[in-house]
Amino acid sequence: MSVTRRDFLIGSAALAAGATVTAPFLLPKYHLDQRPKRSRVAILNAQQYSQQLDQILAAGLRLFPINIRGKTVLLKPNLVDYIPGNAINTHPSLVLAAAESFRRMGAKSVIVAEGPGHQRDTQLVLSQSGYEQCLRGERIRFVDLNRDELIRIPLRASYTGMTHLWLPRTVLEADFLVSMPKIKTHHWSGVTLSMKNMFGVVPGARYGWPKNILHWKGIQESILDLCATVPVNFVIADGIVAMEGNGPLNGSARPLGKIVLADDPVAADATCSRLMGFEPDRIVHIRESARFLGNASPALIDQVGETANAPAAPFQVVSEFRFLHAF
Amino acid sequence: MRFDSKEISHYKVPTVTTDPVVLSTLLAELSLRQLPCGGWAALASSSQPAIEPTCYSALALGSAPLGDIERAQDFLLHTQNPNGSWPVFSGDDQEGGWVTSLAVMSLFDLVPAIPARLKGLHWLVSCVGREGNWFWKWKFRTADRHVRFDPDKFGWPWFPDTVSWVVPTAFSILALTQLPCSCGGLEKVPFRVERGVEMLLDRACPGGGWNAGNGTVYGAALAPHADDTAIALLALCDRAKEPVVQASVDYLERVGPTLTVPWSLAWAILALAAHRRPITLLQRSLVALPDLVSIDDTNTLALVCLALDFQRALSVFGVTL
Repeated sequence: MSVTRRDFLIGSAALAAGATVTAPFLLPKYHLDQRPKRSRVAILNAQQYSQQLDQILAAGLRLFPINIRGKTVLLKPNLVDYIPGNAINTHPSLVLAAAESFRRMGAKSVIVAEGPGHQRDTQLVLSQSGYEQCLRGERIRFVDLNRDELIRIPLRASYTGMTHLWLPRTVLEADFLVSMPKIKTHHWSGVTLSMKNMFGVVPGARYGWPKNILHWKGIQESILDLCATVPVNFVIADGIVAMEGNGPLNGSARPLGKIVLADDPVAADATCSRLMGFEPDRIVHIRESARFLGNASPALIDQVGETANAPAAPFQVVSEFRFLHAF
Repeated sequence: MRFDSKEISHYKVPTVTTDPVVLSTLLAELSLRQLPCGGWAALASSSQPAIEPTCYSALALGSAPLGDIERAQDFLLHTQNPNGSWPVFSGDDQEGGWVTSLAVMSLFDLVPAIPARLKGLHWLVSCVGREGNWFWKWKFRTADRHVRFDPDKFGWPWFPDTVSWVVPTAFSILALTQLPCSCGGLEKVPFRVERGVEMLLDRACPGGGWNAGNGTVYGAALAPHADDTAIALLALCDRAKEPVVQASVDYLERVGPTLTVPWSLAWAILALAAHRRPITLLQRSLVALPDLVSIDDTNTLALVCLALDFQRALSVFGVTL
């Protein structure tokens, strides 16, 4: 069979067109492989929000070789809105215990910072959720990330197609960022853990309440771009009382009795997912982030403290996410 | 369309307040926070001038002998984007944002600002929540039905290329209804305002009041927010007979006395005053809050001033009592 010059040109054009269409899907969308060789996760038992949290957390933090002496530590809890009786927010007593521990470890300063996603009146959320009283009592500075000074930051991944975001100066200038999520299911993204918690650093004054641009660009994609750009140094996840069902606001309280600490947000979220009875590989942002941000495989995670056993009954989810259940 | 307030200059409405001492102290603090560029930053600790705090502060200082309103207005004029919109802060990208409606209202009295205001109003008319597009309308009707709302009723987004939300829609309605006439390329104003009003009525929470955008998600009724409710009620002042509006005013009247934070309380005072409900006790609660003068959030500080001088504040928003 002979190939004419015309056939060759048509074939070449078809090949070029095919490559143009498929290349964006095949090329990596992250700029840098940031994965550590190994990650460490500690699961701590804590049945209630009590004064003993200080000791439990301090003992847990000693399992990690953290040096924060002289550094500015930013604690980023999940503080979205307040609905009486709903386990929406990271409990303030856990945040206080973390602040106390980091101060004892020699931090230059400890700041609590959040940009609530639903409520424009940040002081109202702080007041109703008990944060205001706790932070005032311990003289801990709070920064409203919805209204902080903003700096234009190029994104270090391109899952959303956005090139940059305006992000709060306080977050970008912190030396050690601790994501402190509430372990919850989420009706749009399956789960909301340490990586999804980073939506709170996106300023509402610039992007609205909720941060709707991130929903339109894709929640999973936005999580990946954001976490590639703003590295989470440590995770303290509140699973003492978690949330299942129609999270992040209207789910049911689910007592889990655990605090999860980790030096890698991907390892933290994969472990939390297992504790919820989910298969982490089925959660898009965890699976994808394990390619460049951190480790999700148990083989690459040094597990200390309690074991990451799945619960007797997995966390309930909205019907679209039943495929997350590991069994 | 409401035409009853357009001839009133809100900078000329006299100050009537229950507590002139507190108000003058707060206005002095607000004046001190003005940046050399003429704008205000969102937080006292910040030096990045932003449009929202500048608008509230300029409006709050409007009738006081303190501050430099002309510098604030110059700042607003110089930060306008080429497309007619306003950025959220000085140095922001230039596609425009939700604060455009606030900037337009803040420049209401300034004759040299008429061309800038018109450009801003044109941008507002062209800015549509995504559900205003036929494709997204169809998607929300057929495939994406977890959030209960009627996509035929659309308003304004926080940020271009996203869906309509309560606060930007309410502010846009307030800005557009201050327009003397819908001519000169602004013929679509009545249509947009009517769709916006319909959108607000459609997205109310089941028991009255408004959350950020929708009343029901995944079958669960969302709880109303006092500030979102108050801002929506200002925009719906001439729809007082609507059952949704009445239920929302009732909600705000119930929740008002429980509020212990200045931002929500100030908005509640303005909305209840606009709907002719008693506010004296709420104003007393507001001035009794501790450390008002040291509030870090300048938006809140300015809003407290506006709530204490509510008659002039309402005229700013085009509401007549």
